[in-house]
Amino acid sequence: MSWRRIRTLIWKEFVQISRDRAMLPILFIMPILQLVLFGYVVGSDVRNLNLAVLDQDNTVQSVRVVDAFTSSGYFTVSARPTSDAQLKDALDGGQAVVAITIPKGLGDAVHAKCAGQIGVIIDGSDSRTSGVAAGYASGIIANLSNQFYGAGGAAMTAGGVNAQVRVLYNPTMRAVNTMVPALLAFILLMSTSNVMSQAIVKEREKGTLEQLFVTPIGRADYLLGKLLPYTLIAVVQLTITFLVGVLWFQVPFRGSLLVTGGGLMLFMLAALGIGMIVSLMSRTRQQAQQTSMFLQMPQMMLSGFMFPIDALPKWLYILTFLIPLRYILVIVRANFLKGSTFVELWPQFAMMAAFSIGIFLFGLSRFSKRLAD
Amino acid sequence: MQFPWTKTDRPRPSGVDDGDAIVVSGLRKTFGDFVAVDSVDFRVKRGEIFGFLGPNGSGKTTTIRMLCGVIAPTSGGGTVMGYDVVDEPERVRENIGYMSQKFSLFQDLTVDENLRFYSGIYGLTPEKYAERRAYILRMADLEGRENELTGNLSVGWKQRLALGCATIHEPKLIFLDEPTSGVDPTARRQFWELLNDLANEGVTLFVTTHYMDEATHCNRLAFIYRGNIIAEGTPQEVKADLTADTILQIAVDRGEEALAALEGLESVDEGYMQGSLVHVNLGRRTAEDAGLREFLVDHGFEVGAIDRVEPTLEDAFVHLVTQQGGRA
Repeated sequence: MSWRRIRTLIWKEFVQISRDRAMLPILFIMPILQLVLFGYVVGSDVRNLNLAVLDQDNTVQSVRVVDAFTSSGYFTVSARPTSDAQLKDALDGGQAVVAITIPKGLGDAVHAKCAGQIGVIIDGSDSRTSGVAAGYASGIIANLSNQFYGAGGAAMTAGGVNAQVRVLYNPTMRAVNTMVPALLAFILLMSTSNVMSQAIVKEREKGTLEQLFVTPIGRADYLLGKLLPYTLIAVVQLTITFLVGVLWFQVPFRGSLLVTGGGLMLFMLAALGIGMIVSLMSRTRQQAQQTSMFLQMPQMMLSGFMFPIDALPKWLYILTFLIPLRYILVIVRANFLKGSTFVELWPQFAMMAAFSIGIFLFGLSRFSKRLAD
Repeated sequence: MQFPWTKTDRPRPSGVDDGDAIVVSGLRKTFGDFVAVDSVDFRVKRGEIFGFLGPNGSGKTTTIRMLCGVIAPTSGGGTVMGYDVVDEPERVRENIGYMSQKFSLFQDLTVDENLRFYSGIYGLTPEKYAERRAYILRMADLEGRENELTGNLSVGWKQRLALGCATIHEPKLIFLDEPTSGVDPTARRQFWELLNDLANEGVTLFVTTHYMDEATHCNRLAFIYRGNIIAEGTPQEVKADLTADTILQIAVDRGEEALAALEGLESVDEGYMQGSLVHVNLGRRTAEDAGLREFLVDHGFEVGAIDRVEPTLEDAFVHLVTQQGGRA
């Protein structure tokens, strides 16, 4: 092994990357693009839900109920039907996804300190939106109840909704808060495994790999000359993602850079191992691209990156334990939002370490063997 | 631009100076059940141009890769410039140059960057690099084009630059694996002039080619066929076997069909196409040509000149392969 040769290889890699018009945008625009896409689309919050109001009471109290809904920011009044039939039409026609009905007598009930009634009707055709809306509505009503009767007083019940929801750690339930930490791991996976396998396959395709191995460059020189540039690029990408997430999307960072960074470095070993394995399975760059895509799908779906894994059928749930991304997601999210440390996260760290080192060494051994034949 | 590596040039131990450049004994490589190279022995003397000939898939490249220490032999071994190919592959690689048919330059680097890369890999001092760079640019006729992307050069220039990169560290032995395939005849001739210059400076050249006319540039030849060396010697020695044979060159229309018809004749030992002409070997039989002409005319071919010719290396090669019971 010679540091001079490794340095020459790294220099060459960077010159090549700077010339590659397809590679450069992928390396530096992709992370931003993904952050923006996932941040705004997947991570968007349910806000400004259309609300239909049927107020048959018309008292100071009933107006306060409507105000409480609109001032929360989650609802805007889109229809004011005057009968149950009109209210039903508003929901059926999609003018509103949530309706509240305030029957006559709410104001009197509040004065008499006895239980009042408000009806909340939610369009359940979009389960995600309706779930969130139900949560918001019950929160608002619980709050109103305190204002009208004082804490612990008689309750005001909303028709069919009687939940006491308390969301921990992410009180506003901003999806972007869980998305940004996850993206750190995902981008790392994409750029190291994908880009590095591309670079190796390209070299074999062009025949330069063959040439390099009749020079004094050893296997270790070559691998370090490949791994180091892409590690460096991944660190830059992670820094960009982290800063945009924290500064632009205002994701609170309650953890430590040591835990998040340490976890990501460990995960990177797995990503590099996957990259090496992909490069061995592919003869052309296109094949490498397709193989990477093929491997990415299950990782995205079964790691908890986009969809919760707790709800999966049991046999599929067992498969998730085989995906290193699963462990790093728990680590970065917990560290980001809860400030969890090594002490709480050790099972995840242990599994990640086992997988990462295993995959990396497997990739390395297959790689050296292939080069030797 | 100054290099970050400014260490002094490590003195290159020259191995055993008086020995042969390459000594190979019992070199064998198998891939599963397939025997790529079957226990070959040969020697290459210092300063000679050694031609390693054989059809595709006969084991040429595998042999070179073993000699360069890229892959390990299954059994047997050898020394290259005095270093053992199994035990000291890195030493071997420091002391050789290698250039393949694909002229494996980095197409997306400039001429200068390719030179700088190989200079860094071989650890040249800045002074040595400046000297070699100037020499190679002049040799490859690339002065003034240092900043062009290598991918934009035409094939002859690429080839000469590849030779320059492979020899930037002034190795005393160069492996050339089909260096001229896919290159036009003018560029090939120019390239062989460069190789002859190197040979005159005392550099040993180990060349594989399937252009038989190029083989005549070699001091000595070895034919490899199905992993075995089936002939070895100077071009004259290789052809000596055939000098007593009668070789006829026949100009005929529809050459391939004529060849097929002639191969059915008992008097014809071997036949093959040499360009558009048919070559047939009649063995020790003589003056049978009249019979051939009539035979061809009878079969409806238009026959031109029929000449007796001196055996070429190609004739020798076909002869050797036929004796092995195969086709070239």
